[in-house]
Amino acid sequence: MKLITFIILVALVTVVNAQETPIKKDSSVTVLDEVILIAVRKKKIETEMKMAVSVDEFLASSDNISFIKRGAYAWEPLLNNMSTERSTITIDGMHIFGACTDKMDPVTSYVESNNLSEIDITSGQEGSMHGATVAGSIDLKRKSTAFGLSKKWSGAYQTGFEFNNNQYFNLGNISYSSDKLVAEGSISYRKAENYYDGENNEVNHSQYDKFNTSVGIAYKTSPLSSIKVDAIFDKAKDVGFPALPMDLSLSRALITSAAYKQFFENKLIKVWDTKIYFNAVEHYMDDTTRPENLVHMDMPGWSTTYGLVSKINLKKENYASEIQLNAYDNLSIAEMRMYPQDRSERTMFAYSWPWVTTRYAGLSVNNSWDISKKSLLNFGGTFGVNYNYSKYVDFNWIFNPGASQKKTRFLPNLYTSYQLNIADFNFSVGGGYGHRAPSVSEGYGYYIYNSFDRYDYIGNPDLKNEISYEANASAGFKNNKGSIQAKINYFYIQNYIIGRILSLGSPMNYQSVGVKGYTSLDYASLFNFSLNTKYTIFKKLHWKGMLTYARGLDDNKNNLPFIRPLSYQTSLHYSFKNLGLFTSLNGDLKQINYSPEYGEDETPSYTNWNISADYTFYINNYRTVLQVGAENLFNEFYSTYADWGNIPRMGRNVFTSIKINF
Amino acid sequence: MKTLHFIVIVLFVVATSCTIDKTDFEAEISVETTEYVDFKEAASVTTGNYTISIEALNGTFYKGYNEIHLKIFNKQTGENLEDLEVNFLPILTDTNGNKVSCPHKYNLDYDTSEGYYLGYSVFTSESDASANWKLYINFIDNNQTHSVNQIISVEKQTNMNLNMTSFTGNNNEQYFIALISPQKPRVAENELVAGIYKYNQPTNVGGVFPDPSQFSYSIVQGHTLLLDPRMPEPSMGNHSSPNNKNLTQQSDSLYYGVVNYTMTGNWTLNFIFQNQDGQVIKGTEVPTDFTPGIEGAKSELYIDILF
Repeated sequence: MKLITFIILVALVTVVNAQETPIKKDSSVTVLDEVILIAVRKKKIETEMKMAVSVDEFLASSDNISFIKRGAYAWEPLLNNMSTERSTITIDGMHIFGACTDKMDPVTSYVESNNLSEIDITSGQEGSMHGATVAGSIDLKRKSTAFGLSKKWSGAYQTGFEFNNNQYFNLGNISYSSDKLVAEGSISYRKAENYYDGENNEVNHSQYDKFNTSVGIAYKTSPLSSIKVDAIFDKAKDVGFPALPMDLSLSRALITSAAYKQFFENKLIKVWDTKIYFNAVEHYMDDTTRPENLVHMDMPGWSTTYGLVSKINLKKENYASEIQLNAYDNLSIAEMRMYPQDRSERTMFAYSWPWVTTRYAGLSVNNSWDISKKSLLNFGGTFGVNYNYSKYVDFNWIFNPGASQKKTRFLPNLYTSYQLNIADFNFSVGGGYGHRAPSVSEGYGYYIYNSFDRYDYIGNPDLKNEISYEANASAGFKNNKGSIQAKINYFYIQNYIIGRILSLGSPMNYQSVGVKGYTSLDYASLFNFSLNTKYTIFKKLHWKGMLTYARGLDDNKNNLPFIRPLSYQTSLHYSFKNLGLFTSLNGDLKQINYSPEYGEDETPSYTNWNISADYTFYINNYRTVLQVGAENLFNEFYSTYADWGNIPRMGRNVFTSIKINF
Repeated sequence: MKTLHFIVIVLFVVATSCTIDKTDFEAEISVETTEYVDFKEAASVTTGNYTISIEALNGTFYKGYNEIHLKIFNKQTGENLEDLEVNFLPILTDTNGNKVSCPHKYNLDYDTSEGYYLGYSVFTSESDASANWKLYINFIDNNQTHSVNQIISVEKQTNMNLNMTSFTGNNNEQYFIALISPQKPRVAENELVAGIYKYNQPTNVGGVFPDPSQFSYSIVQGHTLLLDPRMPEPSMGNHSSPNNKNLTQQSDSLYYGVVNYTMTGNWTLNFIFQNQDGQVIKGTEVPTDFTPGIEGAKSELYIDILF
């Protein structure tokens, strides 16, 4: 491990050194600029409602993302109503794995809105480009500044205050662009206290404190090639999780990469992009803040990943292809150390992740063929090899005697889709087939306490691959007044992995009621539907509506947990000169199809009404936007179907923010 | 550029240095347990031309089960004496002069491959000012019986995984259970080995001391020791483990079972001791409920361990 760290360190220093090499200034730089500019899509991490959103809030505006919330921070994104084990979450294609056994640190908690440019959400097997998946992929795209911009220096500063939880934040980012060199950096700090629910009760242990910074330096090594080094450092401390019996005292992540990009002129190959990366995450839970706990347990976790992504883009006439090689090595460690009432007494110790190594290598091909002007065929797939090794396999043998210490799995993923555009109408149909390997917790977890159903979870190294058969379709209509788009997808998942009560063993965690082992159901099925509409009522007044519905059933036709009930969102946006007004209504209907077996109870319906207003003006030619708004204006007391332990959500929250672009 | 170097290096130092050190698991387990694998001389006695050397693990007799290796050396001929009839009898004498023994192997067998006489002794108490242990050893060489005795010191058992218990069963017989293995348990499936012995009440009046018929112990044959391991600490809420196996007698006369320890810490091995017919000689069932905050109830027959 030390050796690999050293090699990467050397590599990075070399890359940094390489920039000192004097290279003759070349004037024919246009080719590279153009290509790079295509990649820089001007999409910002903000919603119409709120310009200073957290990454979680931004993701929540997507129709196929929902969240499990354990507090005000680090929400776990569910894609197509499936938990994070079933999706791949990457940052610029880099794999990162949270270090918390209780999923208190999804990858999305280690970035900040001001170092991202956009978030790519791909549903189902089309998302297997970055690794084996069932639900799809979420790729968080880092900001990337183009070479040779006319404006050498640019940046933005944003500050704001939210009244409900006394959250204040300061976000700043700056970039420098010249013909040869690009440098960019961002820094942010958010601090929030406990929030108040709709009945104006303080929700204890919901505070957080997050610091995030990033740097990126790119250098053009020739007219057609460039190198880039990137780093993100994120630190959260004193984060409360009101739905859990413990909090986070400190989590830190360092995410680094070095990339080389080569463009080709007049060739079949257009771009070759290769990146090596390293990231380390540490996560320390703390329950000494909870006096009600008679026993204290320290649960530190570490996750270290090394990886490589190499991608080439091919294009010839009406055919485009992307070939990507993905490889990574992850080591996940999590410990439990319990202290009886008397701290001086002997402690108890066990691993909840007994030093589990995961290695994955996969080759993906993504093809896009324009059959005619009206129709397009996408097809592709991935062949991956997944290897797991549990160092302290003794822990796994307690519940699974004789289980394999090493396990190699082959993970094929395939998909195809056909798109047809006829006049203002568009249609698509597609299908997919794919395997995924069990996650570290599902395979090797040991007494991982789940405070939702209050069971301790035990992994099983010999679980079968989860196999997904997927079908999807969409239909839409679009003209210059508005659009309507309906999407459905259906997943039939064989060997669906879920926790089942074990008759053997007894719980360990203080609040626990029993032990569940991860087992495979014969199958489960999931259905997702979404309807999106947009309509321009008149030039300055836009209406948007969204409706989603999902249903998930196990092999006994019982409900799966965390399936979103019928939900809706409707919003109006009005702009007049420099003023923008926005109002939205969103909510879920009553959760009828809940799953008592997995700890769910019926969640009543709720509706939130939100408003905001923004005003754009100029200070010394710097474009400045001031925004004031309120979420949950009626101060509704509610919790959603996926709120861990039915913790109440935030009540009325008045927010203000100001953003200066320079 | 210098600054950049610096940043890159600092970032790596930050990344590779953790705020909380990872636990060294091997060291963690060694805190409470010491594993002895080497036999060393624990006592030696000389009579005439003979030197008798008695070896035990770590060169020490501990309370509990002790495997005994005995060697008889003829100084005159300079050879180890093989295949003799050797008797071994440990006797505890208290301040009132009462003499008792403990489970032991009286007739030692010679192990040709290893070159020693093999036996065992389950010392039931430690040596102290009020009580001393003495080994009485007889052997016959050239049709001549040699008898020696030697006071030994029996030390406190520091490794709780080698604890023992003695009890009177429902049938009024006196029994002894001594743990033999594992010395150093792991958070894993452990093979649990114990010796089970009983005291044979003398049927006749004793002869000249030391009369072995007055100090007779035997290995209990064909019984079963039902096992239910639990963590007794209130904070552990009567935690137990799955896939344990009851102890049954194997060909070497010892009792073998399987115990799973789910984590390090204090554990109690709760037993129910049954005879061949399934009748309970000693032990009670313990509650299986998870009861956080309440100290776990123990069987009336149990051994505490710690690792």
